[in-house]
Amino acid sequence: MLALVLLLFPLLIFLQLKLPLIKNMLVSFGRMVAQLAVIGLVLQFIFRQLNLWLTLGWMLIMVVNAVWTVLSRLKLNRSLLLPILLIALGSTSLIVMPWIIILIIRPDPLYSPMYLIPIYGMVLGNSMNSCALALERFESGLADNWKAYYTRIILGASLWEATLPAFKKALQTSLLPQLLTIASIGVVSLPGMMTGQILGGASPLVAIKYQMMIMISIFTGVTLTDYIAIRLYLKSRFDRFLLPRQEI
Amino acid sequence: MIQGSPTAMQPQLDIELHSLAYKDRQLLKDLRQQVHPGEKILIVGATGSGKTSLLHTLNLTNPHFRGRILFQGKDLLDHKPEELRSRIMEVMQEPWLDDLSVESVLREPFSYAVHRRKFDQSGWRERVLRLLSSFALDGSYLQKRSSQLSGGEKQRIALIRAMQFEPEILLLDEISSALDQTTSRIISNCLFNNYRGTIIAISHDPLWQQSWQRIWSIEQGSLIEKGA
Repeated sequence: MLALVLLLFPLLIFLQLKLPLIKNMLVSFGRMVAQLAVIGLVLQFIFRQLNLWLTLGWMLIMVVNAVWTVLSRLKLNRSLLLPILLIALGSTSLIVMPWIIILIIRPDPLYSPMYLIPIYGMVLGNSMNSCALALERFESGLADNWKAYYTRIILGASLWEATLPAFKKALQTSLLPQLLTIASIGVVSLPGMMTGQILGGASPLVAIKYQMMIMISIFTGVTLTDYIAIRLYLKSRFDRFLLPRQEI
Repeated sequence: MIQGSPTAMQPQLDIELHSLAYKDRQLLKDLRQQVHPGEKILIVGATGSGKTSLLHTLNLTNPHFRGRILFQGKDLLDHKPEELRSRIMEVMQEPWLDDLSVESVLREPFSYAVHRRKFDQSGWRERVLRLLSSFALDGSYLQKRSSQLSGGEKQRIALIRAMQFEPEILLLDEISSALDQTTSRIISNCLFNNYRGTIIAISHDPLWQQSWQRIWSIEQGSLIEKGA
């Protein structure tokens, strides 16, 4: 709680500049403390129970929460996006998580929530942010280049061929920040998980091994989620005449 | 062609529309027309009368119609859109060309599966040079960037981009509206002298209204055929 005293510095700066951020700051940190306290208690309970269904149930809550966050961030058709996000974020979990848990970490038992939940949280959180960015860029790419899209379809392009430039651009935009983060790890910043492990007493070499595995999982998860989300979005965004179901 | 054979009797397009709409707005009703290969048809009518919507039903970029249209005897709706649009090609009023060299712009659609299946690109340069010269452009245009071209040049490149695939029908939507008289004349002469397929065009340009075999006039929600 002594760390909260540090917030006096931003508070003084905001006061001097008369920045209208004081209320936001207090609400944000208030929410953070309350949410983390509740989550801390819930996680402690789940970790102690060591129950498969309880762990899976919590992971389901995490997916639903991630889907909801993306839905509220994007100004796109929600009923169209809901199944897409559930499939995109869900299917990624089914590929990346078993790989890490069953083949690499191999905890005992395999569903050990102590491993499953924090790793899943990192993969899912990054996938969620990247997916929102990718879909938003894809939609704005179509809107900005509507004439290019229309020209391609009247010349005989398929839906895939006509949307490929916007697809590539969206994927590039969403993945580039991930690659920049990966490239700067260790030199510029030590990621949260690694810092946590080192602070918790783990050897930096062990922490680094875990961190590398996590970064690879996150990048794979993010790429798969973005790719699946845009491909599914594409199918439901256009009708059989390759025309948008709703105006772009 | 043998008289009485199915191909001789069959119109290229057999249009029977009960109604045609654009965004829930009723535009045309009870339209019955046939189009035969090689015909040159001009659509005229007031702004908002439904000319473009009618043109766009033929390549299914406006599928909001009731009735049926047969293309070569087969319902338009039963054609795959990409297959149909490779045979009935539209050229827009203000064409979009990617900001690349003209050669890349012209070659890009060859990467579409529908064209890859039908065309190999051997002899492409000779064919395109012929088309360029018939539109009063020379081979040096292939190296120019599309962003450096004038409106008239862009329009000609857009026409060549469509004509290189020898579509059976060309749909032209006001392609001469932003052109000066000389360019407009070059384009109309070239189209009428070099293109053997069917043309269905919309134009307000008086220069363009002379050479057509048929004129469809849209008046108060009906299509009336007028003598050319």
